[in-house]
Amino acid sequence: MSEPALKAEHLVKTFGDGQVAVRAVDDVSLVVVRGELVVIMGPSGSGKTTLVSMLGALLRPDSGSITIDDVEVTELDGTSLAALRARKIGFIFQSFNLLDALTVEENILFPAHLARGGVRSAKTYAQDLLQQLNLQPRRSARPATLSGGEKQRVAIARALINRPQLIFADEPTGNLDSQSGQDVMMILYDIARDQGCSVVLVTHDPRVLDVADRVLWLEDGALRDRKNEQHSWVKDPVCGMRVDEWTASLFSEHGGDRYVFCSQRCLDRFVVEPTCYAVSTQSE
Amino acid sequence: MIRWILKSLTSEPWHLVASVSAIGGAFALALFFEAVFAGESKQIVAYIDQSDADVWVMQRGVSNMHMATSYVSDWKADKIENIEGVNKVTPILYLNTVMQAGGRSWFSFIVGIESGNARAGPWSIAEGKQLPGPGEAIVPAVLARLAGLGVGDTISIAGHEFTVAGLSDGTFSMANSITFVTLADLADIMSTFASMSYFLVDVAPGVDSIALAKRVTSEIEKVNAVDNRHFTKNDREVAMQMGLEIIVLMTVIGGTLAILLTGFSVHSSVSRKEHEFAVMKALGVQNKMIYFCVMVYAIGLALLGFSLAVILVLVATPITASFVPQVTLQVTMPALLRFIVAALVVALLAAILPVRRIVRIDPVQAFKVS
Repeated sequence: MSEPALKAEHLVKTFGDGQVAVRAVDDVSLVVVRGELVVIMGPSGSGKTTLVSMLGALLRPDSGSITIDDVEVTELDGTSLAALRARKIGFIFQSFNLLDALTVEENILFPAHLARGGVRSAKTYAQDLLQQLNLQPRRSARPATLSGGEKQRVAIARALINRPQLIFADEPTGNLDSQSGQDVMMILYDIARDQGCSVVLVTHDPRVLDVADRVLWLEDGALRDRKNEQHSWVKDPVCGMRVDEWTASLFSEHGGDRYVFCSQRCLDRFVVEPTCYAVSTQSE
Repeated sequence: MIRWILKSLTSEPWHLVASVSAIGGAFALALFFEAVFAGESKQIVAYIDQSDADVWVMQRGVSNMHMATSYVSDWKADKIENIEGVNKVTPILYLNTVMQAGGRSWFSFIVGIESGNARAGPWSIAEGKQLPGPGEAIVPAVLARLAGLGVGDTISIAGHEFTVAGLSDGTFSMANSITFVTLADLADIMSTFASMSYFLVDVAPGVDSIALAKRVTSEIEKVNAVDNRHFTKNDREVAMQMGLEIIVLMTVIGGTLAILLTGFSVHSSVSRKEHEFAVMKALGVQNKMIYFCVMVYAIGLALLGFSLAVILVLVATPITASFVPQVTLQVTMPALLRFIVAALVVALLAAILPVRRIVRIDPVQAFKVS
């Protein structure tokens, strides 16, 4: 379990130039070991997808290094990157991204054409996956006729067909109902636990926190490990909104107590008349 | 892999049908105009072709037949016949005029031929006599059909009445029609005496027609002699200047339309799949594979469209011939080859723009919610 499947060091990615430049990922370092299920959470626009795109060899970082299976990814050309993605990485997307023209089975087998073993050897495994993911009755169906949960299970099977060592999933439950989302989460958990495949999961779904080996919080392009941290939900004394004390950046003290704010506006109001708001905040 | 990418490209049958129909329709239009051009180009020199004289002799300064006027003294026929290598000389009179038939005016080339000499007369007869007698005319069968004429009816040429004695095939085009009368009758109409318009010269076996034409020109005063190939070429060029250019222009327009539609169809089909290509790239499909598949798709689309066009034209040709007999259509193998090469080149060119776009697609787009 301690062998690293993915190692990223000091990743930086900036979009735009000059005054409109946005540093989407800012000096992120990360190691994912084999069989580990790592969850990346963070607010919208925090750089989660950018980070996953870089880790998945889809996007080149401006600086830093990414090593997958002892191969320095940032030094590879486009052709080698495509080959690496085909053989060692599986992707699961929020909107499934199945190929509409192909049947369930053909979609699952599609990446097998890009791997060394070819389709013939992958067919048996595809049957296993169809069975495991309860897709056998729909093997000849077109994606348009599938439910959201079925589509995502097909996408998972497609991601697994080449037996990759890394799977990146971007909001895999985002378009699913509660039960289907739960199923997908457990499938991903099983993949990491039973197949030794590392899973890097970007999600807002809190259910995954219970099965994740590690939860990373990405905000303003920087990562923080949260698995062992307790959430510290407190109320903004001005507006009453719930704020995570752990990640909040706006504070003030009054009467020996520390207050946390959701926004600069609330902080400003508090500073003007703290006695109006200075009541004890309740941890959740 | 190629099959699957192509399957993805052709996954929308109605879009494919629309694309193939558009390309097929446009190429059919271009092929149709080309067939009209080929047919008319052939038909316009049909008389020269069918007469198959080795050398044509005419008045100096004249080098073709279409809309030309030529007078050569008839006694020169003997002088030509005496030149070594000449086998036979056949005189004709020739007049461009408007004749009245079936209550309408028809532009016609009137050819006067020696009585009883079929050498310069109609080569295929649909009905009636093959050669005209005095006061008789052999008119094109197509003209007779359009004018509602039959054998025994009367037509008027430059105020002279003639009885339709026979109907000939292959003597009508959009640019001209050929009516045959006797030499004496046409001489009467033209008020000429001891003059001919052209001499059709047949050379002896093994004699070079070009060399003989040069000899005739140099040895007989005030005549111009041209071998059959150059005479045909001259005539076609004049005819081209007088109307066939419009057909050429229509062919160019049809071809351009086909090119634009092929380009648009390939571009639109490929562009519609942009997100799927991003997904394929994210999954590890190489750019060269995508290049290859788009090219194969473009060629396939062009070939399907072109095949449809050929079928449409082959079906339309006999239908057109029966409903619009004045138009001569000829689908030639060189034209088909020329158009198929054009279709393939166009398809490849049309694929370049979308394929360049696809190659630049960022596979990160796969993460975008579609």
